[in-house]
Amino acid sequence: MTNDRWTSGDAELTNALRALYAAPAEERYWDALEARILAHVARGDEGAMWWGELIEMVRPGLVAAAALILAATLAMVRSQQLEARSAYASVISAPSTLEAPSRGASVGDGDVAIHYLLSR
Amino acid sequence: MPTPAEGAAAERAIVVAAQRGADDAFSALVRIHQRRAYAIVRAIVLSHEDAEDAVQEGFLHAHRALDRFRPDQPFGAWLYRIMANAALDLVRRRKVRDADELPESIPMPFRDPAESGELRERLQEALTHLTTRQRAVIVMHDVEGFTHGEIGRTLGIPEGTARSDLHHARAALRRLLQDIRSTP
Repeated sequence: MTNDRWTSGDAELTNALRALYAAPAEERYWDALEARILAHVARGDEGAMWWGELIEMVRPGLVAAAALILAATLAMVRSQQLEARSAYASVISAPSTLEAPSRGASVGDGDVAIHYLLSR
Repeated sequence: MPTPAEGAAAERAIVVAAQRGADDAFSALVRIHQRRAYAIVRAIVLSHEDAEDAVQEGFLHAHRALDRFRPDQPFGAWLYRIMANAALDLVRRRKVRDADELPESIPMPFRDPAESGELRERLQEALTHLTTRQRAVIVMHDVEGFTHGEIGRTLGIPEGTARSDLHHARAALRRLLQDIRSTP
């Protein structure tokens, strides 16, 4: 059975792990890393600031563009509604095209229907 | 020498100053925590160079999130969790990049062969067979001396999971290295 405790034979493995993962010991290394970290943070903040300023600058333009798009969409919807309404109105107010043709003595009901269909 | 309570109070004062925008206060926090931060990210990533990148990225995230930190909480635990996440992100990005570019490569730092013993080389290779979390747990526990609870809090996993990861990591290393270890 595998034991999860290190045995004395595992000590060399632990030592090898420690050697492999040993952090740099020189104080100069840590001073340099600290400087690099702070420079990275400063650069990152500048980038974020630049991006924030850009967003601030373009925000009025974005708002205006959004308002324009909204207005154009509303106008389009309204014009479609008006068009539909006038189409209905024209259909309702137009004189019926299904007027019965005057019945002549020689024209039968079947002829009237054919005449109507051909006239369409 | 200050007591732990005095040390915590002093650090809280530095954190509050950093939250108010004092750059030298943030520098002080970097100075205090960079070694431990390096140890944590080094346990997660595969090379010293990646560890340096992850530490820088972690401190940048911490600086940006500093406003949201509540000073009544332990700053170290908060910072190390950010560090672990930065390192895990880096490992994920590397995996995607390696899958795209170098499917057969095993990321491993360059070492002078003359300086590397067989155990060291085999250990490096064996560590790549562990999961990222198993590797992090065994290094944090056996190299850095973290407790299971500290590992769990830092990696965002239950303490029991950290314990079980350690067990499996050790078993895997024993199995992978059994032919070269001097004692069975």
